[in-house]
Amino acid sequence: MVSLRPNGVYTKAQLQKELETLATCGMFERVDLEGKTNPDGSIKVTISFLESTWQSAEKFRCINVGLMPQTKPVEMDPDMTDKEKLDFFISQEKDYRRRIDRARPCLLPTPIYRDVMKMLSDQGKVTARSLQKIRDTVQKWYHDEGYACAQVVNFGNLNTKEVVCEVVEGDITQLLIQFQDKLGNVVEGNTQFPVVWRELPKQLRVGHVFNIEAGKQALRNINSLGLFSNIEVNPRPDEKSEGGIIVEIKLKELDQKSAEVSTEWSIVPGRQGHPTLASIQPGGTVSFEHRNIKGLNRSFLGSVTTSNFFNPQDDLAFKFEYVHPYIDGVYSPKNRTFRTSCFNSRKLSPVFTGGPGLDEVPPIWVDRSGVKANITENLTRQSKLTYGLVVEEITTRDESSHIAIAGQRVLPNGGISADGPPTTLSDTGIDRVAFLQANITRDNTKFVNGAIVGDRNVFQVDQGLGIGSKNPLFNRHQLTLTRFLQLKNVEEGAGKPPPPVLVLHGHYGGCVGDLPSYDAFTLGGPYSVRGYNMGELGAARSILELAAELRIPIKNTHAYIFAEHGNDLGTSKDLKGNPTEVYRRMGQGSSYGAGVKLGLVRAEYAVDHNSGTGAIFFRFGERF
Amino acid sequence: MAGQIVREWSGIQQFPLATQTKLLEYLGTLKQENVDSLTILVMGKGGVGKSSTVNSVIGERVVAVSAFQSEASRPVMISRSRAGFTLNIVDTPGLVEGGYVNDRAIDMIKSFLLDKTIDVLLYVDRLDAYRVDTLDRQIIKAITDSFGKEIWNRAAIVLTHAQLSPPDGLSYEDFFSKRSEALLKVVRLGGRIKKQDLAFSMPVILVENSGRCNKNESGEKVLPNGISWIPKLVKTIIDVVSNGSNGILVDKKLIEGPNPNEQHKWWIPLIAAAQYLLVQKIRGLIKDDIAKESKAAWELRDIGAAKRKF
Repeated sequence: MVSLRPNGVYTKAQLQKELETLATCGMFERVDLEGKTNPDGSIKVTISFLESTWQSAEKFRCINVGLMPQTKPVEMDPDMTDKEKLDFFISQEKDYRRRIDRARPCLLPTPIYRDVMKMLSDQGKVTARSLQKIRDTVQKWYHDEGYACAQVVNFGNLNTKEVVCEVVEGDITQLLIQFQDKLGNVVEGNTQFPVVWRELPKQLRVGHVFNIEAGKQALRNINSLGLFSNIEVNPRPDEKSEGGIIVEIKLKELDQKSAEVSTEWSIVPGRQGHPTLASIQPGGTVSFEHRNIKGLNRSFLGSVTTSNFFNPQDDLAFKFEYVHPYIDGVYSPKNRTFRTSCFNSRKLSPVFTGGPGLDEVPPIWVDRSGVKANITENLTRQSKLTYGLVVEEITTRDESSHIAIAGQRVLPNGGISADGPPTTLSDTGIDRVAFLQANITRDNTKFVNGAIVGDRNVFQVDQGLGIGSKNPLFNRHQLTLTRFLQLKNVEEGAGKPPPPVLVLHGHYGGCVGDLPSYDAFTLGGPYSVRGYNMGELGAARSILELAAELRIPIKNTHAYIFAEHGNDLGTSKDLKGNPTEVYRRMGQGSSYGAGVKLGLVRAEYAVDHNSGTGAIFFRFGERF
Repeated sequence: MAGQIVREWSGIQQFPLATQTKLLEYLGTLKQENVDSLTILVMGKGGVGKSSTVNSVIGERVVAVSAFQSEASRPVMISRSRAGFTLNIVDTPGLVEGGYVNDRAIDMIKSFLLDKTIDVLLYVDRLDAYRVDTLDRQIIKAITDSFGKEIWNRAAIVLTHAQLSPPDGLSYEDFFSKRSEALLKVVRLGGRIKKQDLAFSMPVILVENSGRCNKNESGEKVLPNGISWIPKLVKTIIDVVSNGSNGILVDKKLIEGPNPNEQHKWWIPLIAAAQYLLVQKIRGLIKDDIAKESKAAWELRDIGAAKRKF
């Protein structure tokens, strides 16, 4: 409280000011400052004080005086008679009572009340020091709970049985959204206010008490829009309103338009297994984006990928997409986004690959081009429902890009015959089909110290409409259930170790009706049964994949052991031409192994139970 | 094969008299049941003696056989008639090539048999082989998948090279019994036949096609157990035909199999309706998730739900 320091030099005016400050701070009844000159010329300053005390109190009460004018201390006229003094005190009390009634209750919970009242009853007389302690206790609770703008402004009703603590909690009086350019100057933004406003939690709106957690939530929500490079949520006091807080949201918008060209060279195994460039000519992608159209987060994206920049028509894949959020209106609480795109892609078919016995199976390439349109309803931040229509043309080609109507078979005498399983429904190599697609994802996962915990269920349906080549009518459905079970309760916090997790995963896929080979379910692969190549176990009408993985935290990453199984449920023969048999695949298989996560890469050793051999794999991303 | 003149079963005359008598007697019983033709399908691995058996039954060298040469590359049907009865035997290429079941051979056999009815299947293997493995099961499975489980109700196992001396310690009967059991087990597993089905009592016939085959007093070819095998083979075939089951008509539907794309198609509207309800149910569950989600203290206090507890 005292600002004078030993060995400091002070003027008489400074000493006078110090005395005044101490006298008017309300803690002391009387303050005296005495200075005695020492033989060496320095001054010994003695401050003697009498602490203000009031009568002991039994009750404690806390009121929220935010947005109310401060009480001004009324000077008592020293010439008043005793009766006048009494009247004065009574009217003061009445005024204060009215103030208490007008004030709002504060957020302080019962346990804190109990603590304070215990403090008061222990103390006996109420002193300035005990008031300080009460102020510290109350403010600490508010600040710990995130109410960073809360303050104890006054104590009232002293010298009565009930001590009243006046608190300003930090009520929000205004919400400002401000756009800044890269240098920090205020500009007119492109994004429309309702787009930002709908991402704010209710607790940040006018009339609520400012809480820093609400601010953090707002930051996360606005960030997920993907429209801003920098977001700040700052409270500042409102000059025009006592105790009011203005919440300022400062946003720096990302560039609306961007274009990018990236080139790549593929490294593939060459002679003797040495890695070589697949080709001198690079492949690459040209992409462009036009974002936040009309300030409503609508975007138009396009990308064109080729494996040979110098002769692009060899192998061209493109995708153009238009995304239109808030189709129910930007003020609607529903969050539905409309997406439409036209695409063209080319993939190697895992249906026409061989089992472990066959080395060279002539591959079949599946070209898909078409348009799709769908609506995604974001039910929570993680769960969503998507439904829409897809119209596509599928062409199956052989290695030399000629249209292939059937897979090729390697004859026992080494020759090749073209009477393998048919590749398309129409048997012409080109199929056109239109179907409805729906997907519902229920995702209750969350992160506990970096480990994913919870469960995720996905159900997807493709419903053929009988429109297309040979009027395809089908119902192709998949159900995926994944459970991440936390095996041990751990304390949550930064730097704390994650819990061990047991992952249980099941995937069932089935189809009733017309099923061409390019839509068949395949078994084997890093996202199907680890340890086998994609499609190595077979292709079938329905499949079941099961996996279990036990994750154990070590140091600052985790190691795991796993076991997986994939089964065609006997439905390989229900696929026209039975490609599983023709290419000598088992139809089912299991694998097991162990691995460790190193940053973004998983290094694992997997044993293929069908052949009994194991191998080391490096994979990016998550298996589940 | 209507319109073609079927050759006379002249080979029957080179059998010893005792054999001829018995054969004609059996043909007679067939005629009494108004059966005037039989189609016998002979299948098995390569080199087991299918063509030799055909030659033995017909009594002529109709099919080329050579110890080291690979066999017939395509199915061939030998037809002979006698006393108003026509015998058709279909000799087939071996079903195994390169250690795997030869799908092309099976496809060829199926197309060859289009619109014909198989009365009897003779599955041929050697008596003097000791092991039965996965490959045998795969062959049985392939036959079952191609012609249906019912073919095993009209089948008999033929074990060739039956004139052998069994290994030390085993009598001929014991050896035969063990070998039969092993093969019958494989047929049951590969054909997914239940114990109580007819095929479990599938006959196993011993056959010795070489010229060295011992003969009895009547000059008939006999086996080490004393049985004259040619009449026995024919009798068994006739028993199989008369066991109450039906022959297998190899029509287009059988060859192509039931179209899996058309199966259960009419279920689709019901399935789609059930899926729609499932999606709505999951949507409801997600709504519950939102309600149950544990809110932080600051949210609860704000909506007045904290009740001053914290």
